Amino acid sequence: MVQTEPVLEVNGLKVQANTPDGIVSLVRGINFEMHAGKVLGLVGESGSGKTVTSLALLRLLDRKRILVEGSIRLMGTELTGLKLSTMQSVRGKDIGLIMQNPMNAFSPVATIGSQFVETIRTHARMTRNEAAELAIAAMEDVRLPNAAELMRRYPFQLSGGMLQRVMIAICMCLKPAVIIADEPTTALDAANQLQVLRQLDRLRENNGTAVLLISHDLSVIAELADDVIVMQRGQIVERSDVYQLFDHPQHAYTKQLLQARPTLKAREPESLKEYARA
Amino acid sequence: MSLLQVENISHTYRSSNRLWRSGSLTTVLSHVSFEIERGQCLGLLGSSGAGKSTLGKVILGLEQPRQGRIIFQGHDLYYADTRAARQLRRDLQVVFQDCYSSVNPRMSAEQIIAEPLNNYEKLTRDEGKRRVGELLEAVGLKADDMRKYPHAFSGGQLQRINIARAIALKPKLIVLDEAVSSLDMVNQTRILSLLSELKATFGLSYLFITHDIKAAHVISDSLAVMDKGQIVEHCRDKSGLADSAHPAVRELFASVLPEHPRDRGLGRESAIKQ
Repeated sequence: MVQTEPVLEVNGLKVQANTPDGIVSLVRGINFEMHAGKVLGLVGESGSGKTVTSLALLRLLDRKRILVEGSIRLMGTELTGLKLSTMQSVRGKDIGLIMQNPMNAFSPVATIGSQFVETIRTHARMTRNEAAELAIAAMEDVRLPNAAELMRRYPFQLSGGMLQRVMIAICMCLKPAVIIADEPTTALDAANQLQVLRQLDRLRENNGTAVLLISHDLSVIAELADDVIVMQRGQIVERSDVYQLFDHPQHAYTKQLLQARPTLKAREPESLKEYARA
Repeated sequence: MSLLQVENISHTYRSSNRLWRSGSLTTVLSHVSFEIERGQCLGLLGSSGAGKSTLGKVILGLEQPRQGRIIFQGHDLYYADTRAARQLRRDLQVVFQDCYSSVNPRMSAEQIIAEPLNNYEKLTRDEGKRRVGELLEAVGLKADDMRKYPHAFSGGQLQRINIARAIALKPKLIVLDEAVSSLDMVNQTRILSLLSELKATFGLSYLFITHDIKAAHVISDSLAVMDKGQIVEHCRDKSGLADSAHPAVRELFASVLPEHPRDRGLGRESAIKQ
């Protein structure tokens, strides 16, 4: 395979939080690269630093209390030193974010349409009508029924799965080079989970977006990721191709993660007890 | 006699009145009947909005149904006299999905777990402390943790505290409403195996409400699937569910994610059946 220039390059990323009890390291110097049209899976259990990493990439962490070091290069441009106003235009336009709880990602007091149009017009010169047309087309593209009708609805009138697909539709319109999907399906039921993952897959295929897929659920990773990095206590303990990871996990922690999955096949009670003790 | 008999339950919600229009009725449960035997776990599956949680509330006595009866240990839950109702509530406990909103952030773990004990049993201070310590150890935490407050626990640990509170009075039936859904995979498996152990030790029965077919499969003895307020499939033997032809059941199976990248996309159903 011809190795292309990475879209996003992270080098020596460190995140430290200033707490009353002293300085706590949340991310301890991690490096990774993301390539166009590829899905990079990021796995690890709660508290391993997955979400902090994604927020650090977008510089959304509280600057007063949290110190971020290291280099984040987006298509050759260093993001760490950028002015906040410049960073504003990077967020959404160049790096999109899809969060776990779609209910919190929208304002409850504005319609889907007005939020959609506002977001598009922040980043692109377009009239209201043009933006609305683009929005409806994008919502139809992610298989949302009655897109024109949905524009007039408020977030609470839509289900979690629908809101998450609206979020993906917004990302489609802005065509960011990188999308960070932080547990995009954790709050959804199984059928919606599959729908959202399919749309993410189409997004990367059609637009060549690089996706950072953060999840604690290894079956989500198995479904979508090309490469995987495993985080534990703020460090990357393993990185490999997704097939390699499932067939020949190297690190003990990865093996533990792979075993700690409920499966549809019967499991002996002895092994269950082992997990309880772990 | 079964521990719990759910007889022909139907329930509707009325949407709130909007200005001059009267609210419309939505049927959430229609003619639901099933039984749970002592020491058994019934996994109740279904997609969002199928009526699983409403059914859970009805069984807990929190939402009186429009029609039908809940018979728990031989008593009608909604028409038991005060004394019997008090005893029934003791034997019927619940663990919810959101472990953070299930506890009072201003109460220590000790106070949280001791609350049901204080309501039903006259214990001295030392006895109470000892019981709380034992319960914490039963769910895999340390007895010292009783001094801590909810913010000092992780989601998995807090869910263990909720479980400790639920088993404090040695109940007969625990309704687990998406009790593991908000936890990460490692913690999910740990909590599932803890629940299985507790079930064996104390002879508990569970109603395990979830949309996650894998988790339900691990813990349950029998499985039921809800769709649009009705039970569309009920398998006493859980492995029988894979053979069901009902579209709602097929959809559940079709949306199971692969366990290995080679099973991506199509062909998933055949991979599960083996």
